[in-house]
Amino acid sequence: MSDNEATLPADPRAYVEQVMAEIAEEVRLRRASGDLPPKLERELDELFLAHSPVAGRGGDLGEALRMVDAATFIDPVVPVESERAAGAVVKKGMRSLLLWYVGWLTHQMSQSASAVSRALHIVDDRLQQLERQVEVQRVPGATVVEFPDLDGPDAWWVEPAIAAVAKAPGRVLHAACGDGWLVRRIAAAGGDAYGVDPRSHVVDRAELGILDLRGEGLAEHLRAVAAAGLGGIVLSGLVDGMAGGERTQLLTAIATRLAPGGTLVVHCVSRDTWNSATAPPEADLSPGRPLRPETWCHLLEEGGYEAAAQPGPGGGDFLITAVRSSVVTPYPPTER
Amino acid sequence: MSAAAGRPVAVHQFIPALNPHDATGTHTLKLRDALRAAGWRSEIFAEAIHDDLAPEAYKHWMYPEHAAEGDVAIYQFTTSSAVAGYLAEHRLPLILDFHNFTGPELFAGWEPRGEQRAVRAADELALLAPQAVLGLAKSSFSERELRRAGCRRTAVVPVLADYGRVAGPPDPRVAAELVALGADGGADILFVGRIVPSKAQHELVKALWAYRRLYDAQARLHLVGGTSSFEYTKALQGFAHDLGLSAAVRMTGEVSDASLAAYFGAADVYLSLSAHEGFGVPLVEAMVAGVPVVTRGAGAVAETVSGAALVLAAADPAYIAAALHRVCSDDRLRATLTASGRLRGAELSGDAAAIRIVDAVSGAVAR
Repeated sequence: MSDNEATLPADPRAYVEQVMAEIAEEVRLRRASGDLPPKLERELDELFLAHSPVAGRGGDLGEALRMVDAATFIDPVVPVESERAAGAVVKKGMRSLLLWYVGWLTHQMSQSASAVSRALHIVDDRLQQLERQVEVQRVPGATVVEFPDLDGPDAWWVEPAIAAVAKAPGRVLHAACGDGWLVRRIAAAGGDAYGVDPRSHVVDRAELGILDLRGEGLAEHLRAVAAAGLGGIVLSGLVDGMAGGERTQLLTAIATRLAPGGTLVVHCVSRDTWNSATAPPEADLSPGRPLRPETWCHLLEEGGYEAAAQPGPGGGDFLITAVRSSVVTPYPPTER
Repeated sequence: MSAAAGRPVAVHQFIPALNPHDATGTHTLKLRDALRAAGWRSEIFAEAIHDDLAPEAYKHWMYPEHAAEGDVAIYQFTTSSAVAGYLAEHRLPLILDFHNFTGPELFAGWEPRGEQRAVRAADELALLAPQAVLGLAKSSFSERELRRAGCRRTAVVPVLADYGRVAGPPDPRVAAELVALGADGGADILFVGRIVPSKAQHELVKALWAYRRLYDAQARLHLVGGTSSFEYTKALQGFAHDLGLSAAVRMTGEVSDASLAAYFGAADVYLSLSAHEGFGVPLVEAMVAGVPVVTRGAGAVAETVSGAALVLAAADPAYIAAALHRVCSDDRLRATLTASGRLRGAELSGDAAAIRIVDAVSGAVAR
């Protein structure tokens, strides 16, 4: 590579920005061509998670207990492979010499771990009993609530939503993505989009070989996304039925995953629409109720966004577009 | 410069741990020399002192033996330490030299002790920041954290580092080894830093996998630096093994300055996907060494490289792979990044940085 022979640009910053745009386009084309199917990227994530400790996977107690059980037996026969020729021989010799001693220690450790594992299983059983008892008082998580007249590719809010995120500084996530109709539109507009939907049966029908769609809940998915890893998030059909606690948790997770300067787009319905006779049964069964546009703007501005509401033509729904400030303030700054 | 009348007789530094070949340790030693050159008495007091630096510092609890009326303390804030409580108790006029620290969320699930230490560090920052007469930050990103913690007066000053070490004579044995590795072609991708979850070396492995699959099947990744997270290191090794990259991902452990120079000398590109950086000394070292930098814009990174690198918004393997390919195959881009990087490296190097810190300290203690 001849660094010195190349002609330097007059404005290096503008040139680097142009290169970044070309790289983004290259990625889009590569993805579209199927060179790096979305499934492979998902598998990479899952493969690394398989090596992480239990707590790093965000797994439940049952999963943790299965790992405890698997790790209860401590193998005293250490592997002896080596990159160096004599290394394996030396290691094997050391293993033979020490096996009587290491084996005695590991036997006791395995017994100790078995006792701890047994105790944890008893705790797990008791917890499950308690969970059954409190189940009747539990506030359920919100399900996806879609209004056929207000959702889908022909809805009025689709174009403004695409315009808001197509040039986002990073990948764009749509939830709930359904069969990927909005993901496809954002990609066509030049964005690098993917989707998640808790209704895995809907996602399974989609063209997984072309679009990156994942059948999982939004909160669960965000836990696996790196901090500031997303450039844009579009939420539709998800937040109107959420109870306050669930909504706060979601916004907190979004605040850490959305890159500074990133855009959050939320499509919401009005309370009249929510309460109308034509509303789907999921609306009635949801634990929460829709917020007013003013409340959404207030909530997001408190969280460090610049937010604006756009009412729908019939007054039955509205779109919130919020840009995350480039300066993140998780708690109020002190006076300078 | 000499100590003028009315100045404090000493500006001492306190630090959690004084280690050689460590950004904070180097900064502290260089600042001590600059303070002495400015006419002040200046010693270093630490909770832990590496054997190699034993003659350079005292244990922090030995400070009373050196104390005098009018002393000022500079605390090199890097992590939680007993030194923080010690300084809060002694109520010396305090200057916080803030190097930032990794938040607890980035240790979660990997290093419970690291998580607890980060929580304690946040508490200690909140304790000391309101007491400080001045807060020195290594970036505007860190300055905002100091302000939020209650520091009323702040300044941004660079890290005092020995960037020249990467341009020194390379270790011939390591250099020859790297030449042999590259005999069959393939790009050498370099990252320098401790192996810990916040540095996100697993994202580097993902990027290497994608880059090899899409563009350069012979590419190698050199991870230079020791580890302070056994769990994460084991996970990283297992991950690379499962991807068939055991030979392509080389984890060197800690290396000498000469070896480091050899790695920078052989690198085609420096890649950082850290989730958090308060400054990023290795980024500057890469720029000084003339290695093009591709990096994720986490924390203060964008500010540190200041337009002299490809700063990516996301860490998606496909995106990183495309950026690596472009840097490794586009001569004009390489030349642009190399030239801009050297200029930026020069801005952050040299005596000017030390003078800026001494001036800031002078201004604070004269009040």
